[in-house]
Amino acid sequence: MDTMPCDCLSPQERRLYDAMAGKEDRHRKSHARVFRLLERFEGQKPRIDIERALYFTQSMRETEGQPLVLRWAKALRHIAENITVHVQQDQLLLGRAGCDGRYGILYPELDGDFLDIAVRDLPTRATSPATITPEDAKRVVEEIAPYWKGKTFHEALNAALPPEIHKLTYDDPEGLVSRFIVNETASFRSSIQWVHDYEKVLRRGFDDIRREAQEKLDALDPLSAGDYCRKRPFLEAVIIVSEAIVLWARRHAALAREMAGIEYDPARKSELLRMAENAERVPALPARDFYEACQSQWFVQMFSRLEQKTGTTISNGRMDQYLYPYYRKGKEDGTLTDAKTIELLECMWVGMAEFIDMYISPTGGAFNEGYAHWEAVTVGGQTPDGRDASNDLTYLFLKSKREFPLHYPDLAARIHSRAPERYLWDVAETIKYGSGFPKLINDEEVVPLYVSKGATFEEALDYAVSGCTEARMPNRDTYTSGGAYINFAAAVEMVLRNGRMKKYGDRVLGVETGDPRSFATWEQFWDAYVQQHLLFMKAAFIQQRIIIDLRARHFAQPMGSAIHDLCMKHCIDLHQPDIPEGLDFGYFEYMGLGTVVDSLAAVKKLVYEDRRLTMDELLAAIDANFEGHEDVKALLRTAPCYGNNDPYADAIGRDIDRISVEYGDKYSMKDLGIHNDVRYVPFTSHVPFGKVVSATPNGRTEWFPLSDGSSASHGADVNGPTAVMLSNFNTKNMGYRARAARMLNVKFTPKCLEGDQGTEKLVAFIRTFCDLKLWHVQFNVISRETLLAAQKDPRKYRNLIVRIAGYSAYFVDLSPDLQNDLIARTEHGAL
Amino acid sequence: MEETDDRRHAGTVFNIQKYSIHDGPGIRTLVFLKGCALSCRWCSNPESQRPQPELAYNKGRCLGLDKCVRCPAVCVRNALSRSPDGTLDIDRARCQGCHMPCVDACPAEALIAYGKTMTVEDVLAKVEQDGAFYARSGGGMTLSGGEPLYQADFALALLREAKRRHLKTAMETSGLARREALAEAAPLLNDVLFDIKHVDSRVHEAQTGMPNDLILANFRMLAEEFADTRIRVRTPIIPGFNDDEATISAIAAFLEPYPRVEYELLPYHRLGTQKYVFLDRSSPMGETALDKTKLPRLESAARDVLKERFRT
Repeated sequence: MDTMPCDCLSPQERRLYDAMAGKEDRHRKSHARVFRLLERFEGQKPRIDIERALYFTQSMRETEGQPLVLRWAKALRHIAENITVHVQQDQLLLGRAGCDGRYGILYPELDGDFLDIAVRDLPTRATSPATITPEDAKRVVEEIAPYWKGKTFHEALNAALPPEIHKLTYDDPEGLVSRFIVNETASFRSSIQWVHDYEKVLRRGFDDIRREAQEKLDALDPLSAGDYCRKRPFLEAVIIVSEAIVLWARRHAALAREMAGIEYDPARKSELLRMAENAERVPALPARDFYEACQSQWFVQMFSRLEQKTGTTISNGRMDQYLYPYYRKGKEDGTLTDAKTIELLECMWVGMAEFIDMYISPTGGAFNEGYAHWEAVTVGGQTPDGRDASNDLTYLFLKSKREFPLHYPDLAARIHSRAPERYLWDVAETIKYGSGFPKLINDEEVVPLYVSKGATFEEALDYAVSGCTEARMPNRDTYTSGGAYINFAAAVEMVLRNGRMKKYGDRVLGVETGDPRSFATWEQFWDAYVQQHLLFMKAAFIQQRIIIDLRARHFAQPMGSAIHDLCMKHCIDLHQPDIPEGLDFGYFEYMGLGTVVDSLAAVKKLVYEDRRLTMDELLAAIDANFEGHEDVKALLRTAPCYGNNDPYADAIGRDIDRISVEYGDKYSMKDLGIHNDVRYVPFTSHVPFGKVVSATPNGRTEWFPLSDGSSASHGADVNGPTAVMLSNFNTKNMGYRARAARMLNVKFTPKCLEGDQGTEKLVAFIRTFCDLKLWHVQFNVISRETLLAAQKDPRKYRNLIVRIAGYSAYFVDLSPDLQNDLIARTEHGAL
Repeated sequence: MEETDDRRHAGTVFNIQKYSIHDGPGIRTLVFLKGCALSCRWCSNPESQRPQPELAYNKGRCLGLDKCVRCPAVCVRNALSRSPDGTLDIDRARCQGCHMPCVDACPAEALIAYGKTMTVEDVLAKVEQDGAFYARSGGGMTLSGGEPLYQADFALALLREAKRRHLKTAMETSGLARREALAEAAPLLNDVLFDIKHVDSRVHEAQTGMPNDLILANFRMLAEEFADTRIRVRTPIIPGFNDDEATISAIAAFLEPYPRVEYELLPYHRLGTQKYVFLDRSSPMGETALDKTKLPRLESAARDVLKERFRT
């Protein structure tokens, strides 16, 4: 076939080419329902549904002056009472946060001050566009946005940042445009990633949670002002919200019954009746079977999306664990088949695929290109007592991932040192499918780190993957706001330009460390870098301190709190900064590790050690963006690079990492009361961050993307995937604890993983990843030719899924910049 | 002190390649030794043939002599000059036997030194970097070439030292080596990947420059006397040379009496052609490509004789 670019393809590629050739999808027959559901919104640009924002705003307007947690609960009740409920054709689950098709909803409490601009720009922006009807746009501008002017979290933060921090954060006085130096991420989400204790809802139901709150309310000390002012509003909020979610579910039940009454197809009629029965029972009461359990979980998850914008979508937790008892019971009593199990799960995946985690601010959109989503479903790992946790349901999740044609859900597989061969084989086969799933998270790194930060082994062993690469312990962890994304490549530029950046002209943004031509030794140059680095760290921590204080006055989360053990025990909302017994795991982001290491290594080696280049020549070449200085650019590229297991470069990487973890160990608990750990996970933001940094001493031209996560610079890792892993290991400071996730992307050609032999070697590769105690790894298995072809002819490749940064997305949904970035990531072929 | 001697033993290596997964079990590191007595027309590693280091030139990477004159400036033999199109002209007659300062001077990595002197210690330090991956995959070091036993003393020193360090070892060989050297190497090897290109010695000689009697005799010795070494025979399928069923059946029949031996076919690829250009040589195969539709018939010819010992 002439369109086929090479003779070895991943199953995903084969499927695409089959579709182009007009062949029927091989999984279509066995997944008829979900294929029908999917075809209805395939390729649709997402629509904005304003109902959530509208009812939320209406209620908040009415409740001013009351305790925030109570206001939030009342707003949720108002939404539950009024929001349009839907029963979708063919769908087996009930519960949506908005209209039919691919949709997103608005959270004006976060960034309502952007809303009028956003409504104008969203349909046409390059990154993650969306549509809105003219009537809805009008209501946003007239009924929603005005109320929030002066009240949003974003405005409060913008006003609170001192000038020397503000100038590293924002490019304009209103804080609408990021400087992309010490970038705050708290104003485009209410919190960082989170996982609910879904198991509790399945086991107890919200009626029981409401009963518990009522008992606590009745037991309050009638003479205590503290009980009256703090605990009472919280408990009342829990009662209101427990009733609200049940009310919302029952409105769905009523609609399903009504539709059953007029349904003429007897099969669908009985489906609708069963759906109505489910929604009459859950989430009020405990789930009795697998179907009810799925429905209950789905209501909680969708109501949570109505409640707040949790960073990068609310995660799903350890689904193969908490759903397993229901699955096993159904299999044992003959009421459930594997095909039915998969069908129900896939109905859920469809619902996830339709919900778009909308980013209103341009910065948010650029951070999360391709409609990013991290509703992480966790499988595998260990039980709380340290036994292997994989079960029959685990394998059904992996199977569904191979057969379901969309990049939902975001699937995370926990790996541990005794993971059974069967499990790893299935994981490897799923990776080979080629759409980037599952991502792997390593128990051997996460568990001891969490224990060192105060968790019990039992809690740490039961962690769930949350969002892109994080891990949560849903009843011990409390959470914080999004942390700073710090552009350390800008720190290198500021060393070269005495505290300034080409993009921002003469303005002094960093430390004036002096003219680099005056640095006689590498040590002086390094010292200048450290000064810039520490300034950025300090700025990030000041931001975080202010954010933590502000957050508690802007957000509440009564439903999430109602299912958190510590919140219920102490009658306190999850958004409050100090929750007794809680552990708070935040992080800040190191942007551009590969870019920085390679740049510093080039300066150290070529200027100070080998003296093949003077600082003058280097600066002249950088000022000219290497034009007319191609020999200097080429020479710079011969310096040692991160990602090659090169001790020279990796030693610099470890020194850089140490500055961050030392600072974190010293200041995070003391000044912030949270663990603010260094992380290397950029989402898609290495692209916009690169756009503010001029040419760098690693031969990178100006405005080009930075290296992403803990991966090597573009094309710099020439020694294969083992070397990239080892460089990661080498640059970690294992003696410190102030570290969180490191994201590592590895790209393979399908040929490299061909056949059982290829699977076997991938399994060995994964086992070694586990031995090396690296936090995360994910794989793209795709040929470069396919990506290039998709760029040329996006229409044909509409369904091509690629791994970006802890999530997968449609390749054609990405901006050209990011597409090129992905193509440029080194591909490890069959050697 | 034999141990010290082995570690200091030096040889000429032209590449060390990590994460190799098609040449022996598990995840391996390939060590390419320079020099080979054969001169196969299809050789995909032309830089491996001559024993001494060679200068190569990748014109595509060169900045051009209008922008950079670092290499002619350091050439003491005046072998480098500007060609009319602004790229580099290498006078191959003058360029030889030096330490190639031009390669170090080149900022663009357009000038490449194929082959450098390394000690056993240097090589194994590189190989052991991936130890964590060998442990999980059953991989290790694979000697390749050229013909590794062309530098027999160096290859043997490498293998002895690797065994002392408990690395798993494999060797890709053309079979054209001194019998004694192969006999000494065999007990140090977990796996041998043995090329048999043709059973007819005259045809073999016409296309490779050497008859095959020593190769076949070496194979027999290996298969008969070294029961602990796993052997996989491989035939590169070369258009016009052995891409017919009769030739493959004949090789398979030759292997049939050796029940431990596995067999594999390697289709000809043209990935080496660029390297001929870098070396200012012309590729003897030119544009000839393999007709891949022949492969299934060749595979079934081999499978008919060898059954499950034939591997794809």
